[in-house]
Amino acid sequence: MEICNSYSSSSVDSTNPSPSEYSVNLSLSLTFPSTSPQRARKQDWPPIKPRLRDTLKGRRRLLQRDYDTCLFVKVYMEGVPIGRKLDLSTFSGYESLLENLSHMFNTSIICGNHRDRKHHVLTYQDTDGDWMMVGDIPWEMFLETVRRLKITKPERC
Amino acid sequence: MNRATKLRPSTSEMNYFPDEVIEHIFDFVASHRDRNSISLVNKSWHKIERYSRRQVFIGNCYAISPERLIRRFPCLRSLTLKGKPHFADFNLVPHEWGGFLHPWIDALAKGGVKLEELRLKRMVVSDESLELLSRSFVGFKSLVLVSCDGFTTDGLASIAANCRNLRELDLQENEIDDHRGQWLNCFPDTCTTLVSLNFACLKGEINLSALERLVARSPNLKSLKVNRAVPLDALTRLMSCCASQLVDLGVGCYENNEPEPESFAKLLFAIAKCTSLRSLSGFSEVGPLCLTAFIPISANLTSLNLSYAAEIQGNHLIKFVHFCKRLQRLWILDSIGDKGLEVVASSCKELQELRVFPSDLHDEEDNNNTAVTEVGLVAISAGCPKLHSILYFCKQMTNAALITVAKNCPNFIRFRLCILEPNKPDHITSQSLDEGFGAIVQACKGLRRLSVSGLLTDKVFLYIGMYAEQLEMLSIAFAGDTDKGMLDVLNGCKKLRKLEIRDSPFGNAALLADVGKYETMRSLWMSSCEVTLGGCKRLARNAPWLNVEIINENESGRMERNEEDEREKVDRLYLYRTVVGTRKDAPPCVTIL
Repeated sequence: MEICNSYSSSSVDSTNPSPSEYSVNLSLSLTFPSTSPQRARKQDWPPIKPRLRDTLKGRRRLLQRDYDTCLFVKVYMEGVPIGRKLDLSTFSGYESLLENLSHMFNTSIICGNHRDRKHHVLTYQDTDGDWMMVGDIPWEMFLETVRRLKITKPERC
Repeated sequence: MNRATKLRPSTSEMNYFPDEVIEHIFDFVASHRDRNSISLVNKSWHKIERYSRRQVFIGNCYAISPERLIRRFPCLRSLTLKGKPHFADFNLVPHEWGGFLHPWIDALAKGGVKLEELRLKRMVVSDESLELLSRSFVGFKSLVLVSCDGFTTDGLASIAANCRNLRELDLQENEIDDHRGQWLNCFPDTCTTLVSLNFACLKGEINLSALERLVARSPNLKSLKVNRAVPLDALTRLMSCCASQLVDLGVGCYENNEPEPESFAKLLFAIAKCTSLRSLSGFSEVGPLCLTAFIPISANLTSLNLSYAAEIQGNHLIKFVHFCKRLQRLWILDSIGDKGLEVVASSCKELQELRVFPSDLHDEEDNNNTAVTEVGLVAISAGCPKLHSILYFCKQMTNAALITVAKNCPNFIRFRLCILEPNKPDHITSQSLDEGFGAIVQACKGLRRLSVSGLLTDKVFLYIGMYAEQLEMLSIAFAGDTDKGMLDVLNGCKKLRKLEIRDSPFGNAALLADVGKYETMRSLWMSSCEVTLGGCKRLARNAPWLNVEIINENESGRMERNEEDEREKVDRLYLYRTVVGTRKDAPPCVTIL
């Protein structure tokens, strides 16, 4: 209401200003309701009922909760043209991921730190498009940045 | 009498039947409007109709007094009452404005009415009223409270304790002071008649064992909606108790972490037994796993309300909705996204009513791809041939999309579009959305309810006045340029009953042009418009059968009589027709002219 009263008491011609006049008069500190803090305080826009408003206010930021994120990524084994798809959100950490992959591809796979000539190494492509060794960063961070996985032959790394 | 006359039945011939026969014929006429029409035919029919009327609907509790109502319909069994105007839902009406239930209960009790059902919307209900209600009507069966406030769980305790034949206690969206008492315990052991119990809006703890015992002794229970205080294990036990007869279930709150495998297995087992389940709701503060648990019976669902499921991400919502092939009614958050609506369009071919609510009020999340746009709306209109009611909150819209929607869905009865940013134009052409809404009113010949939004000039109201012949309710916010807009609506929409306007430049000229129009309408609301005190006073003088109420910003004091400036803009105006004149229960912040 405060905003609308300021429309009428401003020096703008009060007989039916058009919407374009409102936008031009930003210098008179008229602002559009949805983004103004006053409107947010008044809680009368958008027109939703109090129970929904409370529910949305009490809502935790979904981005922070990883158990309800479905994170399917493609997994390729070097030399094998057909890949697999894996939901990373079902794993609790690198260990269970490796265990599962080893089982899936029927070979032993390890992370970067312990590489030797016998085992495959797991690598991933991140959001920048770069191919990196799996295992260097914390698991939660890895989930945020991983886009696809590749199981490489030992000599490559 | 010649043959032609004999073949054509007339009311005078019908009056040769005894009253009981005519009354029996009237029994088949259920709709309020039809019954109102019947009562106008002649004196005899008026009398018969009066005494046989069982259900009465009062759209505005201040349009008539309880005493007059009871005098006219002494045999009424079921009463529906509405109090505050619609915009009270959005914090635009002070709590103490009015709509008090007590005088009605008082009058009904004194009048010896054998009340069985009471449905209230936006009324102020006190514990005393509920207590009086519970003690006054022996055969009382059904209490439905929607968006009411003013009472506590103590009032519920009276209802539970004293209504021996209670079948339905349905609390929707009420503000109830939760005293965390033992109201559920107050249902006597002899109470076995419950068919419907909904306390989803209660905020506090409840006595779980009392609830379980109540459900166990209610063999007719078909609808159960619990609140957030009912955890997974308890819900599973409740469901197992009445699984086969449950038609309507409202799920509470589970633990925040994923449930234990054993508990989850028990839940799945209970769900599998719910073969009659058709309606599902709740899921606030619940993770996605517990929604997916209902997939086995999802194909049977006709109604799904996930508008409180704020913790479940879009992809899980999509996965679930995909299985709901028989869905007729869907209420959901916009986190389902356009992609999700496309899935709805391809999966839910029986869909009749869709509501998409906003999930992000302050633009916190940068995920523009999770909100809904015109794309989702067009997809729904193309994929769901039976769609007739829609409420759609979105961030952007185009005329082209609205024109396509109009072409796809000429059968809309209710079309409510809310673009979250006021005055937002067509995001592609930057034009106003006049043409889009114009297409809607032109194509949808049966349109009864319309809410408009976005950048709109007077033109859209010209279209509405011209084409919206069946329109009964219109909601306007941040729209229009001059009084001509409002005038076109008032002059054109012959069936208009409710008009609510906020933040639009309509003033005295529009308000006063046709005072007689308001006699054909239930009510008019105007807030943050250009009407002045002088204009409202003039209206009140010319229309004594209207209550013209001014609701002031400053809620504590009445307007000082000598300081009134007739040119002062009125903050909130609410006017309605009434046969009982000025009400006596208005608070200080309301001035009735």
